[in-house]
Amino acid sequence: MSRRAVIAGVGHSAFGKLPDQSAWALEVEAVSKAVSDAGLAPRDVDGLLTDPGPVQGILEGITPHFLRLGAQLGLNPTYTGSEILGGAGSVAIIERAVLAVEAGQCDVCVCVYGDSALSSTGAYGYGRGDESAFGFFGAVGLHALAAQRHMHTYGTRREQLGEVAVAARAHAARTPHAQKRRELSIDDYMTADPLVEPLCRFDCCLVSDGAAAVVITTEERAADLRIPPVPILGHAQAHSLSTYASAGHFESLPAARSGPVAFGQAGVGPSDVDLALLYDCFTIVVLLQLEDYGFCKKGEGGAFVEQGRIGPGGSFPVNTSGGLLAEAYGGGMLHVIEAVRQLRREAGERQVADAEVALVSGHGLGMNTHTTLVLGR
Amino acid sequence: MSDAEAPPLPQPDAHTQAFWDACRERRLEVSACRDCDHLFLPPGPCCPQCWSTSLATRAVSGGGSVYSYVVYRRTYHPGMPAPYVVALVSLDEGPRMISNIVGCEPEAVEVDMPVRLVFETAGEFLLPRFEPISACATSAATGGNAS
Repeated sequence: MSRRAVIAGVGHSAFGKLPDQSAWALEVEAVSKAVSDAGLAPRDVDGLLTDPGPVQGILEGITPHFLRLGAQLGLNPTYTGSEILGGAGSVAIIERAVLAVEAGQCDVCVCVYGDSALSSTGAYGYGRGDESAFGFFGAVGLHALAAQRHMHTYGTRREQLGEVAVAARAHAARTPHAQKRRELSIDDYMTADPLVEPLCRFDCCLVSDGAAAVVITTEERAADLRIPPVPILGHAQAHSLSTYASAGHFESLPAARSGPVAFGQAGVGPSDVDLALLYDCFTIVVLLQLEDYGFCKKGEGGAFVEQGRIGPGGSFPVNTSGGLLAEAYGGGMLHVIEAVRQLRREAGERQVADAEVALVSGHGLGMNTHTTLVLGR
Repeated sequence: MSDAEAPPLPQPDAHTQAFWDACRERRLEVSACRDCDHLFLPPGPCCPQCWSTSLATRAVSGGGSVYSYVVYRRTYHPGMPAPYVVALVSLDEGPRMISNIVGCEPEAVEVDMPVRLVFETAGEFLLPRFEPISACATSAATGGNAS
């Protein structure tokens, strides 16, 4: 048996508006559930990696996040740290755990995302340095620029962005813990007031309080655990740290580079993927990733999602628990957890039949960071 | 107007002071690498292409085109009431910058449309904004504060 890393357990708190619980308490809950799900005990944990989320990590700059949580959990790990890569952070800490576990730095590494973004004030409307003087606020402005350019270059229509939002809500309607369980019609989408044109509020992810955790261990350690583990077939990162004012920044995401690496490790290609859990802070990012991962040709993301293809029962289900748009803002960790549940055949009425290979992505900051996992069973 | 209602202003630092000083003199300047001749924005401590720290500034023509744009329909800051247009403008010399399109209705803005520089006052600053070339006559006739 090798030191090959696997996912042995998952767990999360409730998500939504939870003003009576601190992010810290939610993180403890998520970690406890994930360790318990794996059939492990607190004393087994010798690695802790954290993603403090947009409010704790970026706006409030809690440092060091891992220390506050690790202290409360009474851990004396051989490996720890926090990562702030925006929405790529949750997948990034899982990747880091894989590297640490496979290198023998630790045996049981818990990766946790947590934040109380919904109960904090003014979380996402922040300005970007001097660009505030031009009224350029929030991640929505940046992604609206990407959407407008895509619409101009490829003829993508708002109805096609709307398909992504409608599919997310339809998936969430089948997800008991989802924050938005009411289905959305394309008419609801098209008649919504614009927010930052061409995007409306249904193009934007939710804001949530909550925490989610995943346990990474070795194949060997997992062999006698409660549940068969989910193998990590491939993992990669690629980033574009130059500013979005640089040429090429909006033409493609770094997924176009991390995807082939992760697929190569896994020995699979886009056509082998049964479901994708794509970081969906905004609808346009789903279209861009469908193209940049090679699920369709460049510029054809809009046509790809038409007629319910990525919705429940569609031929290529995306974000089967509703994603950031409808399940909750779980930093990307909920995407990983949903992939695990699908591959463990635990997804209930939203189970994708015969799911064997899942792709999970993270995407963050000014469209700068990107992370990819390919999971199997 | 209380401070909370004043529009946000640039916060010049050691790297961006010269950019904003030039704007105050109605010149738009980009950073220029003395070693590889790369032109870039925003200003910073090295050339992002070759890492040279031998940098100069170069005044640009003020001509450009709209790479992409968005229309803020929601007011995020009381000093910046919606609607207004934020654009990523490709300068004719290469670099791109976030700015506003002014001098026309938001509905008149299009991707790839040619624009030209105008300076508009904001507090102590002159902000480099852009207007459609085709709408310049209108802007001048209505007393727009184009440079």
